[in-house]
Amino acid sequence: MGSDSRRTFLGLCLGGLGAIAAAAVGWPLFRYLAPRSSKESAGKIVIPEKEIATGDAKFFEYAGSSAVLVRKKDGSLIALSAVCTHLGCIVQWQKDKQDFLCPCHAGHYSPDGAVTGGPPPKSLARIPFSVAGGTITIG
Amino acid sequence: MRYPALYTKFFMTLVIFLMTAALIHLSPHLVAAEGPAEIVCIQCHSALPEKFSAPVKQWRGSVHAENGIGCNDCHGGDPKDAANAMKPERGFLGAPKEPSIPSFCGRCHVGVMKDYLASVHGRALGKGGPTCVTCHGNHQVVKASLEIINEKRCSRCHSFERARTIRQAMQETEGLFISVDARIQAYKKIGSDTEKLEKSLFSLRNSFHSLFHNVNVDTVKKESTGIQAEVRKIQTQLDQWDEAGGKRKFAGALAVSFMVMIALVAHLLRKSYHQ
Amino acid sequence: MTLLKSIVDWVDVRIGVREVAEQELTGYLLPRNINSWYSLGSILLFAFALQVASGILLLIYYVPDADKAFKSVSYIMNEVPFGWLIRMCHAVGSNMMVLALLLHMLSVLFMGSYKRPRELNWVTGFILLSMVQGISLTGYLLPWSQLSFWATTVATNSANAIPVIGPYLVEFLRGGKLVGAPTLGRFFALHVALIPAGIAAMIGAHLFLLKRTGVSAPPFGQENTSNQWQGDRYHYEHHPGGIPFFPVFALEDLRSIAIYMACFLAVVFFDPYLFFPKDAFIPANPFVTPAHIKPEWYFLANYQTLKIFPNELIGLSLQGAGMTFLAMLPFIDRGPERHPLKRPLFMACSIGGLLLWIGLSVWGHLS
Repeated sequence: MGSDSRRTFLGLCLGGLGAIAAAAVGWPLFRYLAPRSSKESAGKIVIPEKEIATGDAKFFEYAGSSAVLVRKKDGSLIALSAVCTHLGCIVQWQKDKQDFLCPCHAGHYSPDGAVTGGPPPKSLARIPFSVAGGTITIG
Repeated sequence: MRYPALYTKFFMTLVIFLMTAALIHLSPHLVAAEGPAEIVCIQCHSALPEKFSAPVKQWRGSVHAENGIGCNDCHGGDPKDAANAMKPERGFLGAPKEPSIPSFCGRCHVGVMKDYLASVHGRALGKGGPTCVTCHGNHQVVKASLEIINEKRCSRCHSFERARTIRQAMQETEGLFISVDARIQAYKKIGSDTEKLEKSLFSLRNSFHSLFHNVNVDTVKKESTGIQAEVRKIQTQLDQWDEAGGKRKFAGALAVSFMVMIALVAHLLRKSYHQ
Repeated sequence: MTLLKSIVDWVDVRIGVREVAEQELTGYLLPRNINSWYSLGSILLFAFALQVASGILLLIYYVPDADKAFKSVSYIMNEVPFGWLIRMCHAVGSNMMVLALLLHMLSVLFMGSYKRPRELNWVTGFILLSMVQGISLTGYLLPWSQLSFWATTVATNSANAIPVIGPYLVEFLRGGKLVGAPTLGRFFALHVALIPAGIAAMIGAHLFLLKRTGVSAPPFGQENTSNQWQGDRYHYEHHPGGIPFFPVFALEDLRSIAIYMACFLAVVFFDPYLFFPKDAFIPANPFVTPAHIKPEWYFLANYQTLKIFPNELIGLSLQGAGMTFLAMLPFIDRGPERHPLKRPLFMACSIGGLLLWIGLSVWGHLS
């Protein structure tokens, strides 16, 4: 093979490899920068309003972990994560005391999820929800 | 040389500049990192005779010490004021008498206390039955495991038969917890977001261990099945991660071979220019 | 191809681009006996570019707030598509860049290319070394892990030993008595803006000096290997009959970069956690000091030196002296000889010094 045609061939190889390299870099780059699709919005939970009486709490599963819906004494609703922020146990609703108690190390939370006693470092995370036509949609 | 003065000036400026640069090579130096001072309980009791200093040594090896739970968290009192540390006005409770032990530990371990009081063990409280301390110790409390249920401990009061059945019933689930925990820890070491999985596993493990306080074989067996199903969900997530990891390694092998190919072609092309 | 030719013609008649290409690329002649060690500079430039690119990409998702930093990095590693790849490239890349830098310095040392008239090149290179160490130190804090927090505490603490201004200097560096949010703020500004700009400027100076003086010829394969420079007036070091930079040595550079990338990608995909102890994945806790905090491998020798001497000031001064000696080398070693085997004193000192550095590093790792 004459050295000129060899060079052309090798040059083309290099060019081809370069193009593949560009694509191999471009694809992850595009995915990294592209806006995220709201895949997390899939899996909304729907609960009829009348299932929760005043002063009551309903536990359910949302986004892979335990969550709770509470109707406070004044009738308003709030949706919280039921995972204790201390070490991860599931909190229990105490109807008589109208607050949350974690059975593992006695963490206490108010109906709004704020820490009122015990070791938990943060309040219970709030979950967005909406109410329409007598049903509650979580998420 | 016509420019010694200039050279010297330049030289000196360079020296000063470079000495500053050299000082910037501030290197990591292991200074004995001073933690916060120990609470007064520890300070005083560690200097006392064996009877009063032994609890300190025992506590140091405990899961409570690991998690920053000190003397005053259980016994009350003032951890910062040595003169008034043990005054009742500062909330000091002293050491609980036997019948008060479950409620003493139960101030924090609420769920366990409830299960215990409802069980045969709890109903035997004050009548020769075991308290928390009987099985878990008082100061050297370690993370609960199935090892606590053993012949030596249980046969102090009765035969080991029933306890053995319960332990066997729990063995399989416990093994599952141990293996899943190890897998989660391996992923934690490489920066994977294991928070949800860790919390879920902790919660399940806790309810599983608390289960024992019922000391009722049938309850244990029934609940175990449910708990195992939940743990398997965690395993599925870990399996997915394993799969993704495998794919990454494959992509990595491709990337490295690709680079080697580029090097090869560049090399051949370079050689074609031998002049 | 005629379209391409017309475009080049259009640009050429305006700025003489063909002349530039002739001067800088095809007509830029390098010594015939040039070797692959000379590619380390290009490798470093490429590695730096990779760091800047991956760093900018990380900037898109990273949050420089003490409460949010760790979570943002965790988000990049776990949620963002290919975030793990960008982050690991940046982390592994910094370590490999330091390695390439040390090799580059060693090759210049052994081939005596720091000697007159190239002293300034050596000095700018030394400044680059210092800045790369600085950028590594500041970058280390940003993930706000236990490792970040405590390694920075230990590193900033060593300034304490400096007489008179020591304690104030420590506070100044940290932006407070202890490492905290102010430290993160200033280290972030340094790492992302000031030092990279400084490195870029210094690279510019370094390359300008290289091109202005002319690249040195390796002292191998020649009878007379001593320095020929007279020092009476400026003149560019030509290499008549040499090999053109483009395409010949550019291909050698490409080959070297590809080999570097193969090693780099092997680490990124198969053992990126080589440089990550488990404390790197625990969020910073100012109240709990982990048991064994050690600096990165390239600081281990410094770390061990300070551990040896009970007096911190002695330890620091020794290192300062060593570094100063290194920086001033072209002014201390004025002998004309460049071939390594014909400079027994230099070789003894440099190999001794290298072994000492390696020994201290290994000791630091094991202690």
